[in-house]
Amino acid sequence: MLTGTILYAIINSAILALTAIGFNLTFGISGVANFAYGAFYVMAAYGVWMLIHMAHLPYPLAVLISISLTTLAGALMYRFVIIRIKGQTLSEVIATFGIGLSVLELFRYFGFVGFEYTLPVFVDKSFLIGDAYVDAQRLLIVAFAVVLIIALWLFTHYTHLGLAFRGIAQDERTSLTFGMDPDRIARMAVSFGAGLAAIAATVIVPLGSISPEEGYDVLIKALAVCIIGGLGSSGGVIIASVVIGFAERFTDSYIGSHWTMIVSLAALLLVLVIKPSGIFGKQKELEERI
Amino acid sequence: MLEAENLMVFFENALALNGFSMQVKPGEIIGVIGSNSAGKTTLMNTLSGLIIDMRIKEKRKGGERITVYGRVLYKGKDISDCPPDQRVKMGIVLSRERHPIFPESSVAENFLIAGYLRKRHEIIQVKKYVYSLFPTLESLRKRKAGFLSGGEQQMLAIGMALVVKPELLLLDEPLLGLSPLMQKAVMDAILDLNKTEGITVILSEQFARPVLPVINRGYVVENGMLTLTGTGKELMNNPEIKAAYFGV
Repeated sequence: MLTGTILYAIINSAILALTAIGFNLTFGISGVANFAYGAFYVMAAYGVWMLIHMAHLPYPLAVLISISLTTLAGALMYRFVIIRIKGQTLSEVIATFGIGLSVLELFRYFGFVGFEYTLPVFVDKSFLIGDAYVDAQRLLIVAFAVVLIIALWLFTHYTHLGLAFRGIAQDERTSLTFGMDPDRIARMAVSFGAGLAAIAATVIVPLGSISPEEGYDVLIKALAVCIIGGLGSSGGVIIASVVIGFAERFTDSYIGSHWTMIVSLAALLLVLVIKPSGIFGKQKELEERI
Repeated sequence: MLEAENLMVFFENALALNGFSMQVKPGEIIGVIGSNSAGKTTLMNTLSGLIIDMRIKEKRKGGERITVYGRVLYKGKDISDCPPDQRVKMGIVLSRERHPIFPESSVAENFLIAGYLRKRHEIIQVKKYVYSLFPTLESLRKRKAGFLSGGEQQMLAIGMALVVKPELLLLDEPLLGLSPLMQKAVMDAILDLNKTEGITVILSEQFARPVLPVINRGYVVENGMLTLTGTGKELMNNPEIKAAYFGV
């Protein structure tokens, strides 16, 4: 039982990290809290479904097209909506949340609800590890999360664009004096965030089915992970995912499955009370020290 | 090289810069001397184009209304409406006041971020020159910039501006908060990069004493208006400057 619980806790952590990483990237770099994040997630999943079942494209191609389209949608949202209200945090939240709501509810309105809306798994196999059965898709998610996190780290530390992202995240006006175009970088941050949501959707959705509710669920999960970890901190996202991931699985196994949601929300409240900037809200800490 | 004609900058109805004009020839070191709130930083922001970005951001935010009148000419071209990133590409680089650095990144990484427009080997080359100007920085290259002292951060800030390979370097209060010894090191470095690299420099400062011997010409600003101009030596011997800035 213990090996199984630990195994599924790791998988759960990987899923949480994958869902939160895009939201965190967008917020950390452009300062935009993208509340349409869940809608992008669901949109990408429906996109793949439609491309497979309506356009009859092969699965891998459908995934690639859907991810690119979602990335583009993020860029368009920045270019036509967010740019006009940038800097008014409340308006940003209302606008992105409104866009997210309308996209999700449109899917519901057009009847995209039901068990047939599901995506195929990449590999249909399962393994016995210790005393627990695990399917290949779940193991793939873990591998994917690890690879994606490493890739993002390399991107932000060794490429021109990645370094510019980190410059803007730390001090926007100073970054301007080195020739960066802040709107271009912010647009990319929003679109990369949407792209990461799409990537997360295409690997995670095969475990269940696609529904508009999933959008709200993903947004809440991403928010919880980011707030506990410290908004804008990539290290925080990883730690928070592991903390929540393990806490959820262990309560599920040893206390009762109906307590799992409470555990993560309680953790959220606890962190907000004790350390409102999150576990790794270090940007602020450094500032105070200077 | 650079010409400012009749600059007027308003923040809402407050006048920060009032009919300010200046000319800068290639290879000069120009000082802009003035006390707090004289309009030095506004002038630097107007020359570097930051004010345009500030104006756009404030407008989106529904905040302060910023109005700019007058013209800025660079190499004979009117650049008054160019955004800051275009001006950087033309060779006008500003180092902002209060040692702007990226506190979360190491010293070496700060250079990499600053070199956004440059190739890796160019960055390395300039970094070597910066380390020769400021040897202390080399031993601190792995430390987070946020943990450097004020003087070290100022050295880093100047070094970062150099990585962009400026033709015209704008330094906004580079001596702010530095000890006399550190002030001298920074002024020596400014002289060196002007002589050996041929970079034209405009620096704004309220401490006239270490600045006046170094600059070719100076502009004295008060309440956004030009009150006095002349060579460094002329300004140094001016009784009004002596009274206001040297306390003699």
